[in-house]
Amino acid sequence: MENIIIYVSLAALLVCGVLAVMLRSIIKDAICLAAASAALAIIMYTLGAPWAALFEVSVCAGLITVIFISGISLSHDTKAEVRREYDDKRRMGVLPVVLVVAGIVMIGAGAAIHFEMPVAQRLVQDFREVFWNSRQADIWGQIIVMLTGGTAISVLIKEEKKKS
Amino acid sequence: MNMLNLTVHAMLALPLVVLAANNLLAKQTARKIALYVCAAVAFFQIASSVTLFVMYTRYGITHYDFNIFDPGQVSADYFSVNRLDLFLMVCIGIVVFVSVMLALETIKDHKRSYVNLLMCLLLGMNGMVMATDLFSLYVFLEIVGITSFVMIAMFRSKVGLEGSFKYLVVSSLGIVLLLSGLALIFMQTGTLDFKAIGESLLDTQDSSRRALTYSAVVLMISGFAVKAGAVPFHSWLPDAHQSADTAVSVLLSGIVIKIAGIYGLIVVLDLFGSLEAVRIIYQVIGLVSTITGAVLAARQHHFKRIAAYSSVSQMGYIILALSSGTTLGVVGAAAHIFSHAIFKSTLFSNAAAIHEEVGVLDVTKLGGLEKKMPITAFSSVIAFLSTAGVPPFCGFWSKLLIVIALWKSGDTVWAGAALAASIFTAVYFLRLQRKVFFGKLADGMQDVREAKNSIGFIEAALTAVTVGAGLLFPFALQYLQTAGII
Amino acid sequence: MNMEFAFLLAGVLLILAGCFCLIRTYHLLKIIIGMELSMKAVTLLFVIAGRINGNMELSQAFIITIIVIEVVITLVASGVALDLYKKYGNLDVRNLRNLRG
Repeated sequence: MENIIIYVSLAALLVCGVLAVMLRSIIKDAICLAAASAALAIIMYTLGAPWAALFEVSVCAGLITVIFISGISLSHDTKAEVRREYDDKRRMGVLPVVLVVAGIVMIGAGAAIHFEMPVAQRLVQDFREVFWNSRQADIWGQIIVMLTGGTAISVLIKEEKKKS
Repeated sequence: MNMLNLTVHAMLALPLVVLAANNLLAKQTARKIALYVCAAVAFFQIASSVTLFVMYTRYGITHYDFNIFDPGQVSADYFSVNRLDLFLMVCIGIVVFVSVMLALETIKDHKRSYVNLLMCLLLGMNGMVMATDLFSLYVFLEIVGITSFVMIAMFRSKVGLEGSFKYLVVSSLGIVLLLSGLALIFMQTGTLDFKAIGESLLDTQDSSRRALTYSAVVLMISGFAVKAGAVPFHSWLPDAHQSADTAVSVLLSGIVIKIAGIYGLIVVLDLFGSLEAVRIIYQVIGLVSTITGAVLAARQHHFKRIAAYSSVSQMGYIILALSSGTTLGVVGAAAHIFSHAIFKSTLFSNAAAIHEEVGVLDVTKLGGLEKKMPITAFSSVIAFLSTAGVPPFCGFWSKLLIVIALWKSGDTVWAGAALAASIFTAVYFLRLQRKVFFGKLADGMQDVREAKNSIGFIEAALTAVTVGAGLLFPFALQYLQTAGII
Repeated sequence: MNMEFAFLLAGVLLILAGCFCLIRTYHLLKIIIGMELSMKAVTLLFVIAGRINGNMELSQAFIITIIVIEVVITLVASGVALDLYKKYGNLDVRNLRNLRG
């Protein structure tokens, strides 16, 4: 049962990802990206990573989609609305072919070297202890990344000073 | 000794204090003193790093480990400072100081934004040099990257935004490659600590593990090469460096591409250097970058674009030094990082001076400026001689170290190629010098005056450092020998 | 061909798809979507790495950090793209031709 969920979600992730690239309308692209995030979160939860699944679904499928849609609405492009000028369907049409060819090449390479990665025994540890105690430099880095993000946004959004 | 070690903690926390103060103080006060406080922080970094280096050598300490939240103990994922890191922090301090000096003249309206971003950048670079875990290295690399994107786009001009966006896109590709490499290594070892990624990863006979390890190493080298601006990932470098304000270009070309890119390559060499493939890749990338950068620089018209392609070429030189795989190679690379920081800073100070006084940076429109701007012309000539490797300036010594390192490790062909490639650097710089400073005075340049206060001061100071470092280099080499490094 | 290889394959294919989108499109915001797709693929690679070596908690710590960084990069990229929209009036990449040489 678990394997079926994983394979179906993996297929959904791939399909949503390719659709996000190939669709013409940018809003549909953002929604496909959110669906891909949800599929990835299901995979993570089934494989035993509940914290990461929580972050993925709340931040990527939620916050980033909101950022995209607000960006799209702020830049309402009246002239080239239906993306005909961007000509995406023709330019991206070759993507499924490229992916299938790459997939066949990789499967061939994997079979040639008899690829086999044994799955190790799952260590039993508390996530909170691992995160707060043994990743301290990371946490400092994350704090500074968030401060940097705040600084960056305040610089990019600042109003131009009126020339007096 | 413990007091001095506290300064290392300060280097990871002091920029945050300045950042907070800059935003919490009243606007007028902050605008007046912000840049001077930044210069003080940079000076503090230089002074404390030099002191710590001397102290470590005197007492025989090789490294100092610390944790940022529990200063007493050292658990997993700590920060560590060894002497190479201290040397790189000196270089960081010098370039940040030069950038602040240039910003005193060239940045009029956006002082507080510049100081905010500069402090974040300083924190990112310090953290990157001191990290002991591949993933922490990546996190601080991202900090450096994000601040550089925004610094280029700070003035919101058309070219600035364009350069920033191009840099963003190419850098993102590089980050994805780097992270894939990290994931493949994590798959096999279960940890990303420097000490734990040991020989067990490289000695295995299992073909799937070998395939994964080799792919991981190639991906990581590609990721760091994107950040260093090495060929074939150099397409973002000229656009980003040309479109940024000169104070920001100094930072990018002088230290960011080195810490973000070259230091990452040093780490990869440290961890995986016993693989023959790593050295071959470095040799090829190094030589191709050196020649391509020099050839492309000879065809450019914009002052800063020539300087940017010159950076590509010199990064190739440093990667070639790293490919020798010995300690002497790393010392040569570090020395060249220092020399290149000095002469690139001089070059960009000249660009700032010319831009402030004349207003154009197109080489075809300039000419004969030596009569009007003698200090600028003199510093430019000294920088050129240092780049070309003329004794007794510091560029000569660092290039000599690199050639000796390549010779001693048995790659005599590559040593010869490195020597020949340095002739190329002389070509494009000679063209730049002749066109801009010597020759007939161009039209409309009659009432150009000498560079203003802080720019002139920093040009003179950098020239003094070039000459001084060149004259003192043999003593420095002797000191390093007694310290047991070479 | 077991599950781990399928995941590895899916991860590589998604990175290829993201990079393809980034390189071929003419729309500024779609470039950002391509960047996001590639980073999701990297997250998938970290998940399968965590499963293979048994240390799933460390892998989750990495994934959470990557997601935080991904948000900040998306914010900065959208900010720059919107500033470009204010300058040029549309979101076309073909406008960015000023720097040449």
